[in-house]
Amino acid sequence: MVNVLDIKVLRELWSMRLQVLSIALLVAAGVAVFVMSLSNYLALVGAMEAHYRNERFAEVFASLTRAPLAVVDRIREVDGVGVVESRVSEPLRVIREDTNLPISGRVISLPASGQPLLNRLHLVQGRWPDPLRPDEVIVNVAYAEARAVRPGDTIDVVLNGRLQDFHMVGSALSPEFVFATRAAVPLPDDRNFVVLWANEDAVISAFDMEGAFNDVSMTLAPGASMPHVLEEVDRLLAPYGSTGAYDRSDQLSHRFLEDELAEQETLSIVMPSVFFGIAAFLLNVVTGRMVEAQRGQIASLKALGFGNRTIVFHYFKLVSAIALLGTAIGLALGRWFASGVVGAYRSFFRFPLLEAQIEPWLIVGAMVVSVAAANLAAASAVYRIATLAPAEAMRPGTPPALGTFGWLQTVGSKRIPLQYVMAARSVLGRPVRTLLTTVGIALAIPLVLFGLYWFDAIDYMIDVSFGRIERGDAFLTFTEPVSADALYELQSIPGVLKAELQRVVPIRLRAGHRTYRTSATGLESGSELKIPRDRSLRPIAVPSDGIMLSRTIARQLDLNLNDNVTIEVLEGNRTVRDVAVRKISDDILGATVTMERTALNRLLREGNMSNVAALRIDLRQSDLLWSRIKLMPKVEGSSVKALWLALFNETIGGLVLIGALILSGFGILIAIGVIYNSARVALQERAWELASLRIVGLTRREVTAVIFSELAVELVVAVPAGLLIGWYLIKLIASARASESFQIPAVIDPSSYAIASILVVGAAVASFMMIRRRIDKLDLVAVLKTRD
Amino acid sequence: MQVREREATNSSTQLPAPVFVARGLTKVYGSGVSQVIALKDVNLDIRQGEFIVLLGPSGSGKSTLLNILGGLDAPTSGTATWRDHELTGASDEELTTYRREHVGLVFQFYNLIPSLTVEENVRLVAQIASDPMKPTEALELVGLSHRAGRFPSQLSGGEQQRVAVARAIVKRPDILLCDEPTGALDVDTGRLVLAAIAKVNAELNTTTVVITHNSAIAGMADRVLRLSGGRIVKEEPNPKRIRAEDVAW
Repeated sequence: MVNVLDIKVLRELWSMRLQVLSIALLVAAGVAVFVMSLSNYLALVGAMEAHYRNERFAEVFASLTRAPLAVVDRIREVDGVGVVESRVSEPLRVIREDTNLPISGRVISLPASGQPLLNRLHLVQGRWPDPLRPDEVIVNVAYAEARAVRPGDTIDVVLNGRLQDFHMVGSALSPEFVFATRAAVPLPDDRNFVVLWANEDAVISAFDMEGAFNDVSMTLAPGASMPHVLEEVDRLLAPYGSTGAYDRSDQLSHRFLEDELAEQETLSIVMPSVFFGIAAFLLNVVTGRMVEAQRGQIASLKALGFGNRTIVFHYFKLVSAIALLGTAIGLALGRWFASGVVGAYRSFFRFPLLEAQIEPWLIVGAMVVSVAAANLAAASAVYRIATLAPAEAMRPGTPPALGTFGWLQTVGSKRIPLQYVMAARSVLGRPVRTLLTTVGIALAIPLVLFGLYWFDAIDYMIDVSFGRIERGDAFLTFTEPVSADALYELQSIPGVLKAELQRVVPIRLRAGHRTYRTSATGLESGSELKIPRDRSLRPIAVPSDGIMLSRTIARQLDLNLNDNVTIEVLEGNRTVRDVAVRKISDDILGATVTMERTALNRLLREGNMSNVAALRIDLRQSDLLWSRIKLMPKVEGSSVKALWLALFNETIGGLVLIGALILSGFGILIAIGVIYNSARVALQERAWELASLRIVGLTRREVTAVIFSELAVELVVAVPAGLLIGWYLIKLIASARASESFQIPAVIDPSSYAIASILVVGAAVASFMMIRRRIDKLDLVAVLKTRD
Repeated sequence: MQVREREATNSSTQLPAPVFVARGLTKVYGSGVSQVIALKDVNLDIRQGEFIVLLGPSGSGKSTLLNILGGLDAPTSGTATWRDHELTGASDEELTTYRREHVGLVFQFYNLIPSLTVEENVRLVAQIASDPMKPTEALELVGLSHRAGRFPSQLSGGEQQRVAVARAIVKRPDILLCDEPTGALDVDTGRLVLAAIAKVNAELNTTTVVITHNSAIAGMADRVLRLSGGRIVKEEPNPKRIRAEDVAW
């Protein structure tokens, strides 16, 4: 036979369905955000690991000018080195009739056997090149998609100054080029960077590399020491123009990917955890109050002889049913959103297999946390009531004998309508409840703010990076350092309003036993197209001698002002020099080494040389401008800020938009859940009192004013408090994620505060409108027949 | 509210014209099998200043009748008119105005607002009335001015009910409706409450209707109406009204 108490559970779930639904949606919002974000993050990490493992991503890399193949055998003998593979990797340019923008990239040799041992390709489309056809190539998927090239298409490539026709036979993903980009340019641009994998013979003959290699990758043997291997490989390759061996953390694509994943970690773990935590807390508050409102029923059950345990279990079932309903909705929503968001990730993160998966432990975890949070306050409220003597419990628990709060009698004045006096006493007479409700409403604000914050953060980062620091409209990189004449040449091109040359060179800083691999940027003195800035965005003057270091690097190398640091240049003649640290900057970009260009030239023992140009251009003349630049043989590649920003808005912008909308949307759901429930329970507790007011002749409007003014007081306190909490939490989250690369700044636009406030107040008004209908329908006659 | 244009005279008797007229009042709750007929074709005239006691067992329809008189409930059929106000078919706003301007209500469970003091509970009604007496004056009438600053929870049941009476009369109502005002009280306390009601009836000439199932109270009335099964089964004029102090049960 069905337990009558269980029937009570079902009937109550039904009779309180709107309240149940709002609580369930609160749970659902927390669970959905948590599950979606975490499963997306795990999907990304999992996809990266699988890609690296399946395609055997190397662990150590080195590039050099040219070394005989015999050196490979010597590397293989180094203690700790596993698989070693050499190849030829050279820069290329692609010529397309439909664009004047230089398209740069790399051509990489494939062994005669097809798949390399390391950094293998994951063929997405087409087939492998025929070993007997030197003109067949595989193209990286990102470029193929961005430029819509297909197997069978011809690609015009300039290799080593000679134009050659290649035939695309397939497209592939590579763990080396999850993000395809080149050094010295901060902007990965799939349309203008290409990777071609061609038969070994074709590449070797194009670059006269018979019996030689210029690029080597390797794995480590189990238990090997990375520093030892790097040191030994460096030693072996130093005579051959090596730019220094490096591990994955300095591999361009991997470094970029790691930065992206670290950002995703904030977006996917830290913020949703805070979100879920707040949702759990609010759930706790809401269910606690819901059970408090059943005081009379609990007392009656108790009076009828039900034991405390039975009663607590009864409410456990009621509350858990709501929590589980919410969890189920949340899991379904989370899964649905996760697959949508992962779909959007695919165009940005180039992995062979990227699928959102909801791990079983995630489901169980979400259920346990929801049920526990829901029951924590509920169970303690039930227990507190159940342990009272039934007679005492049957008396209304509230208001707490108001007479004992003598000072409350002084609240109110003869001039204030008494319904407001009632509201004020209700607010002040139950300070704990008022506080919890206020905190509940306040905490809904950060949840909405979290979503809006991402827009602000991205806007701010773009504004800082590309509006205030990199002030050029376009950037050129050169195949080799060029003299100052290049400046005049560039300035003479129609449409170039201003040009500045920079020298960017890979270096390793060494201070005692500590090293740090990065690049040094030499800027013109008084540079206008690149302005280093501190965290308050004030320009930082670059010292005329010595170097300027970011504080993060200085800290890692334990360097103070005027200390000497050894710079090992990782290209050309591999100069090693000691320089003084003349400035330690709190620059916003995180980890940079900046010098005056002439100082860097002196350090490199070279003339007035540069390898990067920043341009301010007249967009009306850009066609002519790029057609002229296309003719400059030393220009390797270009980036156009406007194009990149458009691309950014399509990809990252889209991701952020989706994430932010989801966060804010769920934040609003939670706000409604909290406010509706608070008002609903307040009404439930005071229905008798309010109906009494109606009976003695107060109008609906006057009676509504009692509950409304209580809510208004709570809102007036909660909204500013919520904004403050939101600001603080975001600051905390941002500083927790302070990394070497660009920090996510804790910037919140005033409009975001305004929007979050308006949305939460709107949620409050909507909740209140739902409650108002109930006030209008108060059963006056029923009230007369019952004692509160 | 509809205003009936009619002459409120009754030339056939010497009594004053009725202020409250009910004709064919019927109230049905629910429908079908669960249908309950609470009032059946009730006709009733109540005159200015009259003290009427409605007597009857539980379920006889007396509370339903009182609720309709007080504008808290609407009849299923029939008409109820108070002076020139048609109560039948009036909107919620109209009934609220009727209650707030003309009716004083006292209930078995007092229905005081716990978060307001005694004086404030009375002032709550005074603040919405057009010509109220001073709250202290109303409290004086029920002998409770010394308790003005207390909260309801600090008073005894009888005191709370007297506050309810003070709250009902502070607006100088035209009609005072009391539903089992002594139902939750002991004899001595009950007498104090009844005395307060009688005093209001006598001094302010307020038309008063008291519901009770306690026939001893009937002695205080000008007229006693007995209800049973939703009908007025007996109407007894009471030429010798007794004082509240003399009521015994």
